[in-house]
Amino acid sequence: MSAISELSTVHRVKAKTPEEKRLRAREAARDNKAGYLFLLPWLIGLVLIVAGPLIASLYLSFTNYSLIQAPQWIGLENYARMLDDPRLLQSLKVTFIYVIVGVPLQLVVALAIAMLLNEGMKGLAFYRSIFYLPSMLGASVAIALIWRQMFESDGLVNQVLRLFGIPATTSWIADPKYALSTIILLHIWTFGSPMVIFLAGLRQIPGMYYEAASVDGASHWAQFRRITLPLLSPIIFFNLVLQIINAFQAFTQAFVVSNGTGGPSDSTLFYTLYLYQRGFGQFQMGYAAAMAWLLVVIIAAFTAINFFFSKYWVFYGD
Amino acid sequence: MALNRRQFLIGAGGLAAAATTTGLGACAPGAPSGSQGGGGEQGGKTNLALAWWGNPTRNKNTEAEIQAFQQANPNITLAGQPGDFAGYWDKLATQTAGGQAPDIIQMDMAYIAEYGNRGALLDLEKTGADTSKFVEGTVDSGRINGQLVGVNAGINSAVIVANPKIFEKAKMDVPDDKTWTWDQLSDVAAEVASKAGVPFGVVYLFGGDPMFGAYLRQNGKELFTEKDVGFEPADAQAWFDLMMKFQKAGSIGTPQQISEEGSPGGGKPIDQSAIVLGKAALQYQNSNQLEALNAASGESLKLLRAPSLAGKATERKAWYKASMLWSASAKTKNPEAAVAWINWFANTKEAVDIDKAERGIPPNAELQEYIRPKLSPAQQEVAKFIVDIKPELASTPIAPPPGGGKLAEIMFRYETDVLFGKASTAEAAQKFVDEVKSNLQV
Repeated sequence: MSAISELSTVHRVKAKTPEEKRLRAREAARDNKAGYLFLLPWLIGLVLIVAGPLIASLYLSFTNYSLIQAPQWIGLENYARMLDDPRLLQSLKVTFIYVIVGVPLQLVVALAIAMLLNEGMKGLAFYRSIFYLPSMLGASVAIALIWRQMFESDGLVNQVLRLFGIPATTSWIADPKYALSTIILLHIWTFGSPMVIFLAGLRQIPGMYYEAASVDGASHWAQFRRITLPLLSPIIFFNLVLQIINAFQAFTQAFVVSNGTGGPSDSTLFYTLYLYQRGFGQFQMGYAAAMAWLLVVIIAAFTAINFFFSKYWVFYGD
Repeated sequence: MALNRRQFLIGAGGLAAAATTTGLGACAPGAPSGSQGGGGEQGGKTNLALAWWGNPTRNKNTEAEIQAFQQANPNITLAGQPGDFAGYWDKLATQTAGGQAPDIIQMDMAYIAEYGNRGALLDLEKTGADTSKFVEGTVDSGRINGQLVGVNAGINSAVIVANPKIFEKAKMDVPDDKTWTWDQLSDVAAEVASKAGVPFGVVYLFGGDPMFGAYLRQNGKELFTEKDVGFEPADAQAWFDLMMKFQKAGSIGTPQQISEEGSPGGGKPIDQSAIVLGKAALQYQNSNQLEALNAASGESLKLLRAPSLAGKATERKAWYKASMLWSASAKTKNPEAAVAWINWFANTKEAVDIDKAERGIPPNAELQEYIRPKLSPAQQEVAKFIVDIKPELASTPIAPPPGGGKLAEIMFRYETDVLFGKASTAEAAQKFVDEVKSNLQV
């Protein structure tokens, strides 16, 4: 930053005659052109893949669009209809439970495992990879399928319970009371990516703080409370923000575990799953687009709240 | 710390933006869906895209049919687009939205109005589709607003499949399906389930719309009228009450078992359905699936009629269902060539020699006669059944109006609510009708 501003100051001082000024301007324009040229691949991607569809979906949210016929402008009707949609409420409820229960639990597990791994054990790289693996697989169709079979009435979970003499016949995925819990469990299991970030953060905390604390007779818990947590708080915050954003968009697990229905009894009707049902199942892409924008607002609100409260608990070393 | 506030904001902001925007972008229209679709003409040859859903047998058959058709029509080349049922409709919707609909489309009764009413399908009669030899009651299912937009590709009927081995184990006879009532079905199912020690006496009975349709028709109602739902909340409540009666009698398993088994077509693949795994004595199914069920279970299952209120099969208001239909895109560049395929499939021996009864019994009366001796034993049984039930047929139900294709899914959801005690049958029935109606209005 400063180097560039210095340069421009030098230019400004030097350019005295009008001729010189023109020359400068031409040079600057050429520099800009080169800059834009380098930016071009990214810019094309942004416009075609992100911005274009984004604007299109905003437009569609004000239309009645059946996919088959051209969209018709209906103003705010889609948004008005959302106010009177019991399944939308249900999907919000499911998604909020998933986010509010699943994300903190996942982060606690991630932090706990990261601290274990940070104890300087042998074969760290191996364990790190093993623990990271579920993150790579968790959102995949295959794992969701396995999950479904594990929690069926004759599934692995019940078979293990029976080994211990518990006559378990509950179908965890088929009962509205338990179905969402199995998907939250799947979410917690994919703790790998926040764990890796935590691990990196833990590595940054200078060991001398702990040494000094031990000399002063601080317990492990006190060390964790007074050293680890404050110094790690930016990382915790980072993971929290990202995981909340991710969790709001959970789709694959719910889709596969419930066969795309959000069942039983809409107990796993995630917001994005409902959006998908509206758009592709019921040919109401306009309504689905409006739902997508509501989700943007919700995620933005959550993120803003997160940032607002962060000043009370996040400690930046600088 | 390595991470200061500014770096954090930049990083998190960027990632957050990326995460949210990708979600939104996925909902945009008109994304080009690859190179398929769209007919074109090259050097006097017409290229058409042909889409179907199916199973390995049907895929093999259809490829062979395409070869045979191309030999008979050297000017037409067909490019096949096979798929499976669930993904098929998403793909077709996006292709249609992008103006790249396949020229020839295998269509289902649940979706034909969705496309037909919105002008996405060709009027086949006008283009020369020939259904003159079709059995009565097999043409009209493809008519939307007076236009023939789908030609029946095979006749089906909603049936109850029985596993004789399980009845044997219970030391019971397979019941007489010409005289049984719904209540008798419940009694038989409860008895066989407890005596043979299987979870389900009868499975899928309440989860699908055909059996609900049969029940409604016997009560003088229909699933749908031209533009509306054809029944009242009270009718739906009666159906839900019947389900609870079955459940309390022990005929259809526990709520958890019912929920886990899912709805027909919406849950497990057919080769893992309860009757195949020996967990059910009776199972609702479409008649053309008998062979697949036999193959998967290694049994020879029996076809039974749906029960009636009066205890007389002739009063059960049966109907021929189109297991699937052939439609053509309204935007196809060569309507004649698309209809040529449809006519070839519906009316030639070459086609039926390959397809046999895999897509259902051929609706063409002459071909029905022609192919019967060549069918496998299971298919022969189906063909005989289709002919036998002719005296029991009533009017052909109309296709669900646009937005009505999800009736079964909605019904099963409210049934699950009732089964788990989350709603009374009256509440669930009211909500069920309201939701189906609200989908139709859009």
